[in-house]
Amino acid sequence: MLKYIGRRLLQLIPVVLLISILIFIIIQLTPGDPVGSNLDPRASVEQKMAERARLGLDKPIHIRYLKWLGRTIKGDFGYSYIYKRPVIEVVPDFIKNSLILNVFVYIFAFILAIPIGIITAVKQYSKTDNFFSAFSLFGISMPTFFFGLLLIYFFGVKNQWFPISGMTTIGKNLEGLAKAKDVLMHMILPGLVLIIGSLASLVRYTRTSMLEVINQDYIRTARSKGLSEKVVIYKHAFRNALIPIVTIVGFTVPSLFSGAVMLETVFNWPGIGRVLVDAVNFRDYNLVMALNMFFAVLTLIGNLLADIGYALVDPRVKVD
Amino acid sequence: MKKRLSMVLALLLALTLFLTACSSTDEPAGTEAPEETGETAEETVNNPAVAREGSEDTIIIGMSEAKGELMPIYYSSAYDGYAIGFMFDGLISNDEEGNYIPHVAKEWEVSEDGRTYTFYLRDDVKFWDGTPLTAHDVEFTYLAMADPNYDGRYYSYVQGLEGYEEYAEGDAENLSGVKVIDDYTISFTFKEALAVNLGYCGMPIMPKHYYGFEKGDIETLKSKMLEPLGSGGYKFVAFEPGQYLQFEANEDYFLGTPKIKNVILKFVTPDTQMAELETGSVDVLDAVTNTVENLETMERMGFVRLNSFLNNGYSFLGLNLRDPRLADKNVRQALTYGLDRKSFVDSFFQGHGVVCNVPISPVSWAYTDGLAQKLNEYEYNPDKAIELLEEAGWKLGEDGIREKDGMKLDFVLSIYPDAEWVGQLAAVAKDNWSKLGINVEIESMDFNSLMDKVYEEQDIQIWGQAWSLSIDPDAYGIFHSSQAVAPGNNAGGFINERNDELLELGRKTVDQEERKKIYEEWGLLINEELPYIFIYQRENWNMVNERIKGFDCSPFVDWSYPQIYLNWEIVQ
Repeated sequence: MLKYIGRRLLQLIPVVLLISILIFIIIQLTPGDPVGSNLDPRASVEQKMAERARLGLDKPIHIRYLKWLGRTIKGDFGYSYIYKRPVIEVVPDFIKNSLILNVFVYIFAFILAIPIGIITAVKQYSKTDNFFSAFSLFGISMPTFFFGLLLIYFFGVKNQWFPISGMTTIGKNLEGLAKAKDVLMHMILPGLVLIIGSLASLVRYTRTSMLEVINQDYIRTARSKGLSEKVVIYKHAFRNALIPIVTIVGFTVPSLFSGAVMLETVFNWPGIGRVLVDAVNFRDYNLVMALNMFFAVLTLIGNLLADIGYALVDPRVKVD
Repeated sequence: MKKRLSMVLALLLALTLFLTACSSTDEPAGTEAPEETGETAEETVNNPAVAREGSEDTIIIGMSEAKGELMPIYYSSAYDGYAIGFMFDGLISNDEEGNYIPHVAKEWEVSEDGRTYTFYLRDDVKFWDGTPLTAHDVEFTYLAMADPNYDGRYYSYVQGLEGYEEYAEGDAENLSGVKVIDDYTISFTFKEALAVNLGYCGMPIMPKHYYGFEKGDIETLKSKMLEPLGSGGYKFVAFEPGQYLQFEANEDYFLGTPKIKNVILKFVTPDTQMAELETGSVDVLDAVTNTVENLETMERMGFVRLNSFLNNGYSFLGLNLRDPRLADKNVRQALTYGLDRKSFVDSFFQGHGVVCNVPISPVSWAYTDGLAQKLNEYEYNPDKAIELLEEAGWKLGEDGIREKDGMKLDFVLSIYPDAEWVGQLAAVAKDNWSKLGINVEIESMDFNSLMDKVYEEQDIQIWGQAWSLSIDPDAYGIFHSSQAVAPGNNAGGFINERNDELLELGRKTVDQEERKKIYEEWGLLINEELPYIFIYQRENWNMVNERIKGFDCSPFVDWSYPQIYLNWEIVQ
């Protein structure tokens, strides 16, 4: 197993390199550059040219890539043009905020989605099933910003049950448990929007994979052996239905760290999503590269985890 | 079975909670908010900000995100600029009319040749740690900007100083243009005598004993970006990225202690900023977009007033004069006469913006009465526009589009989606100009791509943009012919001898009355030549909760100026 993981990790290196080349080329070829975001917009020709030279933008693209690669390998991700601080210092705060919200959301989403998925599969075409089918459709099609604004209007403005924006109550400087409770209160509205959105698709995944298993011959065999329905469903069927779900969990890993731009904008959640969009808009190359590479590596690791997970839950999969 | 049922029930409950909330709003059960019962709602207006915990000594201002560039010589966003205004002081400041006034310097002298300014500093200015602010700190601040490795945006503050090259590119140990005469006297000597030089002496001062670094080692300086130490009336308390900046009153401030103890700058987004004002989680909203909806929402609240003033800037449709069709002045004037700017501005801003005709703001001293009277207002006149086109030989072709020498008046107008005005104006222009026999196709792209197309490639015909202006009316960087090469700001390639002469003269002349005459002539020249189609000047809006008194900004004095924030008071 360890050998397998080691080999897979080694295989990641060329993939990561290839991804970095692609992202680098795409970003650098996008019209516009960060010169404008640092300079006074009324700057003279000479000042603009000097700034370009200082940023190394007058060099050919392959030289720029190699320079970037050289310092990135050494762990130097460069300065962010918009934050005027090293990328490595800017990013963690925002990622932490996204992570807090996402962990909250996924815990709830999985806890709710798996049982609902099983129930709807077992009781296919029942009222419960139909209800959740409708609910999933609603959840998937509801635009985040609209649902978010609706929640803000009813639970933040009309009835001031929850704070409408941000992550903490500003000016209170709470500590410890009180702070945790404060953050939780701020998390409920944006969390609800995200939970309903992701719940919808998770329920559908679980249901489909359960249905596939339930119609298998071995389930009929288990039933005809006289096993109780509970054992058939939870022990025999669910164990097997888990396999595709494990894939989803693997894919979830990168999204734990990434932000939801729309949602962050509406609820003013200080997450990484808006930072990435800003970085792209201002052509903050160092920040864009660092974030994209981070997400790329996370996705690859997520895939690897899913594969390892397969091996653990599915005895048919052999790793060597 | 039981488990399953309870699960379903719980979910149903959650969903119905949401659905009922959508359908009816009659029962605000268990609300902690200030009561909104029927009887009181009409007569007295509830001010929710008063009920906010700690509101008696705290003002919360909602604004766009500051990035945490908390250092005078490095910040670039206007929002970080507010924080700098609170925390640091420059030698000079400016008044409401845009004239320079003493600040840390109690007075200054200009030498005979106009190249040297000598400043006499007050001796009662202290940094927050108690260290007195001296001429050495001023010198340090300018050395930092002249550092060989300096990569902020304020080069222009030091590039004109004597000895800049020797320090920035050579191994000089000091800037010969900045001389500390004694602890409280300093002089600046510039290579050329220019009117704009005085403004360059006003960089907010950073303490040498705290920020000091070896020449070249700018990283050491930058590492203190989030730990500012200044002399300003509000002391830095906390910065939470993406969330807020917090300050507290500096009791030893040399101009007096601010009356409000705490100031918090909360980062808000346009989607929910009005809701924040309504629920009292902010007291003031900075720079609200001028829309009728926003104004109506504010008026409905009943406890918020508008602090409105003309913005120091203008918006325009840029014209690329390298295009032979647009090089024809008649075409430029026809496009302007043929565009109903007044109706557009009136309907878009509902009285909170004005049509503009010159690149000088009416709030500036350079916008003289003479200029206002003499300039051509280009009132909407399609007949006049057609006349101009006919005279210049642009005849209607078979397809209804005017043509001359094989060229057709068929343009591409490039806009960016972030700004609402330009999208709406483009539609008006397409319609208006079609009546003249001019066709225009609208092309939309993201702002940075548009700027690249305009300034780097110069591959553009007509584009929409806006400039914000500084205190000085000097527009050398935008209209001088030396700036017409890529990536200069004269992207439209406007080349005019008299224009160059006037711009150069305007910079060199120090006497303001003389400069007024120069800029009047220049303004009229631009008004006639039309390198841009000028569109509008809008108002700036701050929305202020009634409980905050003294929040009265003007075009040149924003709320981070001590003359504003020292006057703030909470009345509730």
